[in-house]
Amino acid sequence: MKIKAQMAMVLNLDKCIGCHTCSIPCKNVWTNRKGAEYMWFNNVETKPGIGYPQKWENQTIHNGGWTLKNGKLRLKAGERLHKFANIFHNPDLPTVEQYYEPWTYDYDKLISSPNKRYQPSIRPKSQITGDPIRIKWGPNWEDDLAGVSETGIHDVNFARLDHAVYLSFKHVFLFYLPRLCEHCLNPACVASCPSGALYKREEDGIVLVDQERCRGWRYCVSGCPYKKVYFNWNTGRSEKCIFCYPRIEAGMPTLCAFSCVGRIRYVGVVLYDADKIHAAASSDPPASLYRAHLDILLDPDDPEVARAANAQGISQNFIDAARKSPVFKLAKTWELALPLHPEFRTLPMVWYIPPLSPIAEHVEPTEQVDAIDRLRIPVAYLANLLTAGDETQIRRVLKRLIALRRYMRSIRVENSLDEDVLQQAGLTPQTAREMYQLLAIAKYEERFVVPTRAVGDGMQTFRDQGACGFS
Amino acid sequence: MNIANNLAFVVFPYLMLTVFVVGHIYRYVTDSLGWNARSSEFLEKKQLFYGATIFHWGILLTLLGHAGGLLIPQKVFDAVGINGDTHTMIAYYTGWLAGGAAFAGSVLLLIRRVTRRRIKATSLVNDYVTLIGLVIVTGLGFYNVVFGHFYVLDSVAPWIRSIVTFLPKPELMLGVPLSYKVHIVSALALLGFSPFSRLVHIWSAPFTYFPRRWILFRRSVADL
Repeated sequence: MKIKAQMAMVLNLDKCIGCHTCSIPCKNVWTNRKGAEYMWFNNVETKPGIGYPQKWENQTIHNGGWTLKNGKLRLKAGERLHKFANIFHNPDLPTVEQYYEPWTYDYDKLISSPNKRYQPSIRPKSQITGDPIRIKWGPNWEDDLAGVSETGIHDVNFARLDHAVYLSFKHVFLFYLPRLCEHCLNPACVASCPSGALYKREEDGIVLVDQERCRGWRYCVSGCPYKKVYFNWNTGRSEKCIFCYPRIEAGMPTLCAFSCVGRIRYVGVVLYDADKIHAAASSDPPASLYRAHLDILLDPDDPEVARAANAQGISQNFIDAARKSPVFKLAKTWELALPLHPEFRTLPMVWYIPPLSPIAEHVEPTEQVDAIDRLRIPVAYLANLLTAGDETQIRRVLKRLIALRRYMRSIRVENSLDEDVLQQAGLTPQTAREMYQLLAIAKYEERFVVPTRAVGDGMQTFRDQGACGFS
Repeated sequence: MNIANNLAFVVFPYLMLTVFVVGHIYRYVTDSLGWNARSSEFLEKKQLFYGATIFHWGILLTLLGHAGGLLIPQKVFDAVGINGDTHTMIAYYTGWLAGGAAFAGSVLLLIRRVTRRRIKATSLVNDYVTLIGLVIVTGLGFYNVVFGHFYVLDSVAPWIRSIVTFLPKPELMLGVPLSYKVHIVSALALLGFSPFSRLVHIWSAPFTYFPRRWILFRRSVADL
């Protein structure tokens, strides 16, 4: 057992209102620079939709992540020899059009315009060329389903579903998907980097690009199946979400989590067994990946685990934080949060609680049809997004969320305790109370349990001040 | 004439080689963040494919050809049964192929750089100097292959060996045609410029990718 600690996040999609507040502080602090204008370490997409960059989920186009070849785990884009053969031109690299051409406006023209018959107006201007441009895409282009009647047919999550039905106005559904780097346990970007510039931090598992070692081969960009590594055309190096590590080290949550007005984000530590990563990522069929992923996570309350973690040099405050971790509770103890696209085999560490949705009227209720099948968001769609197509896992989570609502409603509105519904979902009143506390009340100290970096091990805060971030 | 010859084929080569070595160290130490290829594939991909692929394979083969043909003495080739004429013929045909590719590729890249809006807007003077330098050097080299027909194995080749063995014999260059001389001088100038350009990425060819494991872990602070 090789125990490592990992900073992880859970996003409760049931509460996301798609306000983009998370994206704004992230943008302002980390990617407000030349060459980084188009980068959004955090962006919020509307589902269904093809997202940013376009069709990022479709790995037949982008060749990101891992795949099984004769039962062996392999980078989908090809490995060492393939990368060398294509080192002068990365065939899988997306271009700026697939993200969007960043733009600005000559605001001064509004202010300095002479008195004219008509109001002065300004046109979007490319931040790359300075030319006037037509804006054609963006990090939230399909906001609230804008244009999805056309782009939606390319959404891979409609696999085994008739997209035509769900893109018609009568049956349409939507939910928001805030996306950031997954800080995977088996990161394809790290494995793809020929220079070895990308790495996972030993103490908290945050995946970073060493800006001094990055030589701009761009394989991390194409290797990441979530397309969350970006190429800075100005510096010639790659950049990615840094999980706000300067804040994390100081015991503060990431900016996206901190600023979330819906309080949908949870940040915490999980302990995992690094020896099991390869086997878990090689699980077959893909639907078994979720279980294998959960099995890697170790219970910090298990004295055996705590002793081993201590012996392997994991600091006590990390172990303490792991015991109070909201991420561990939501992902492992209650099994409410699911990994995004586990079939990419990177073992992502940003987890999503699937959203509930209104009961759709167009399905005739019969004895055979479960309430969950009448939710407006089809279970199969969520399964394609979060469990590699395994609907039973989605049903189990949704059933628990519905039971929790029903139970709390019976207490608070109807004034009659309905514990049957809890039993059917396999929950105890005690668990339901705890879930309610964490999901609905979501106090700051419960959402964010972030240990400060262990002071001592060679740390020189005065010398290092201002050294974080990009130049 | 002799003074000019000595300047061009003793002083200048050593000057450029010194700048080449010291310049790379200086750049690596002072500009570790700028040490890369400044790839523009993200901004324009289709045209780059032809230019970059043709150029890179061409220039790599050309480099191998120069190293193998000029640095290894003809005596060695004679010993394995390749006489001077055969050697020249091999150099001629491979020169057409590899040199032609390097020249054509660099021209394609230059055309791309001045015609594609995004690439042009993001180009630095340094990028133009580098690319035009490559067009000149590969162009003159290709010209010499096609029209030169000069026997270099008892003139240019031993001169280069005399430079790298620190026993310069500039007199070997006296009878060499002008197009060869200009090719050599411009190549040396490009060599001297390269540490200050995007060409430094040559030295970062990532061979360590072969033996290394997939997932790397690092401590955020080195144990002091």
